Amino acid sequence: MKRIIFAFLSVIACALDLFAQEAAPVEVFPTAPYDRYIIFQSLALFWVAIVGLIVIIRMKLKEIERVQKMGIDREEKDIPLLD
Amino acid sequence: MSCQRLRNWIEERYDVEGMKRLARHKLVPVHQYEIWYYTGGIAMFLFILQFITGMVLSFYYIPYFEHANKSIIEIVTKLNMGWFFRSLHHWGAQLAITALFIHVFSTFLLKSYRKPRELLWISGFMLLGISIFFGLSGYFLLWDERAFAAVRVATGGAGNLPVIGGFIKAFLRGGLDVTGDTLTRFYAFHVSVLPLITLFLVGIHVLLVQYHGMSVPMSLEKKPLKQIPFFPNLFYKDLIIWLLVLGLTVTLATLLPPEIGKKADPLAPAPENIKPEWYFLFLFQTLKLFPGEILGMNGETIAIILISCGILFFFLIPFFDRRSSRGEKSVLFTWIGVFYTLYFIVMTIIGFLS
Amino acid sequence: MKINHSLVTRRTFLNTLFGGWLAAFCGGTFYALLKFAFPTLGKEPDFVVLKTGDFMDISPNSVKPFAWGGQLGLFYKKQNGSTYALKGVCTHMECNVTYKPEDKKFYCACHQGWFDEDGKNIAGPPPKPLEFFDITTEGEKLIVAKKGIKVELPKA
Repeated sequence: MKRIIFAFLSVIACALDLFAQEAAPVEVFPTAPYDRYIIFQSLALFWVAIVGLIVIIRMKLKEIERVQKMGIDREEKDIPLLD
Repeated sequence: MSCQRLRNWIEERYDVEGMKRLARHKLVPVHQYEIWYYTGGIAMFLFILQFITGMVLSFYYIPYFEHANKSIIEIVTKLNMGWFFRSLHHWGAQLAITALFIHVFSTFLLKSYRKPRELLWISGFMLLGISIFFGLSGYFLLWDERAFAAVRVATGGAGNLPVIGGFIKAFLRGGLDVTGDTLTRFYAFHVSVLPLITLFLVGIHVLLVQYHGMSVPMSLEKKPLKQIPFFPNLFYKDLIIWLLVLGLTVTLATLLPPEIGKKADPLAPAPENIKPEWYFLFLFQTLKLFPGEILGMNGETIAIILISCGILFFFLIPFFDRRSSRGEKSVLFTWIGVFYTLYFIVMTIIGFLS
Repeated sequence: MKINHSLVTRRTFLNTLFGGWLAAFCGGTFYALLKFAFPTLGKEPDFVVLKTGDFMDISPNSVKPFAWGGQLGLFYKKQNGSTYALKGVCTHMECNVTYKPEDKKFYCACHQGWFDEDGKNIAGPPPKPLEFFDITTEGEKLIVAKKGIKVELPKA
């Protein structure tokens, strides 16, 4: 499938050279519907990942503020290590 | 996962505890204008993004006038995700310059340039100038009709400066006219000269911010302000903003990939209705205001001289604004700041609409 | 702070979640970057299309080079007139090989490797025989393809 799209696109690109005088606009976005679907799906996933990170950071910030309020900014030296 | 041996190795050689203490001691004041603090961080993040996307794009770009336009078409149409990374580089640049303009105008209006931060203003202003040159040179690498005309106008405009104009023009163009030599020159500017200067200036700028600490607006200087540590509180807030900016850039890059124009032909007439990039529009519009001849002198030369004076005044504002340096209210410069900001916004909008 | 009977503190949990999520996020982002940085286009082709007239008429016991992607391909006619196509790249260190008509052998000058007329490595360091291709002709088109590849010509 990919190979066919590539071959197809390169044929278009070669053909574009022939019509360079008439200046057909260059396709700056993949034209195949499947590719478009994948792209928009990835974009949605990307935003989900960002929102997830932001939620975690907010949780961390709350935790930091809680610790600062308790006045123990420093990690205790003698807590046992867990590894 | 604590890598105790690696930690010991480092701690035996470097004063890690000292550095941690230093990081904890950096405090940032909290007040209602603190949102403007983030614009600088956003600009820096976008610069990093530009460096990364630019590096990979330069793997494929061919800086020769015969192939330049075609190599970009090949990046966009043939390579894995090529359209995306070119688009990301484009939108990263647009947003970086937007962030810089907001940063510089907010600094102006909050008068953060006042003593002792004059050098911060100077280095920041130079970075803005470099970024605009980044934009112009990067845009020219497309080697399409619009870029060709824009660079002709921009370098020709610099040529209108008295005395040094001709020299600057020849240096930028690498010859009498805009040719393939200009392309290699602008490529060198874009990928090596400007990035190195940028790294140097950003280094100075950030170090100076560390040295002076965050500026507090004059109206709040007398009040006792709550302070929060930069690390980790503000660092995580910065991170949230950066993530949102990254998401915005990626979304714009996906939904609005920039077009590629027709390959430039030095002999063809300039295309109809040509407009420069938006951050040149205010200059473009200003040039249009001047008639061709004023009192027997070349109107364009006068326009360029006036614009240069305006920019120079903006550049040296910390040294003109004595009052705020002494810590007094300086209403005049607030109005000058408002005037500059409004002039920029209004002229850009007029440029868009006309 | 730690809840009774819990193995991890809230901070450790948050740090692990944050670090893991961040690593996955950055990993995914850089994967896309790497896909762009390492192109798939420069790879070996599955087949190339040549002109029949240019190759079929060469004299027996000789070779004629053609471009196999960015590498050397050799069109080879044996003494008895049968034709072959092979990749003219030594299997040892990827030097280009030459054909020695007097010995009916392929020779790699880099490390003195020898292959016989069927491409078998017979002397010197080469570990594997030369790679031979399939040849098919379609009118004027001479299609040289990797063994076992189904050729689909682009319709143009």
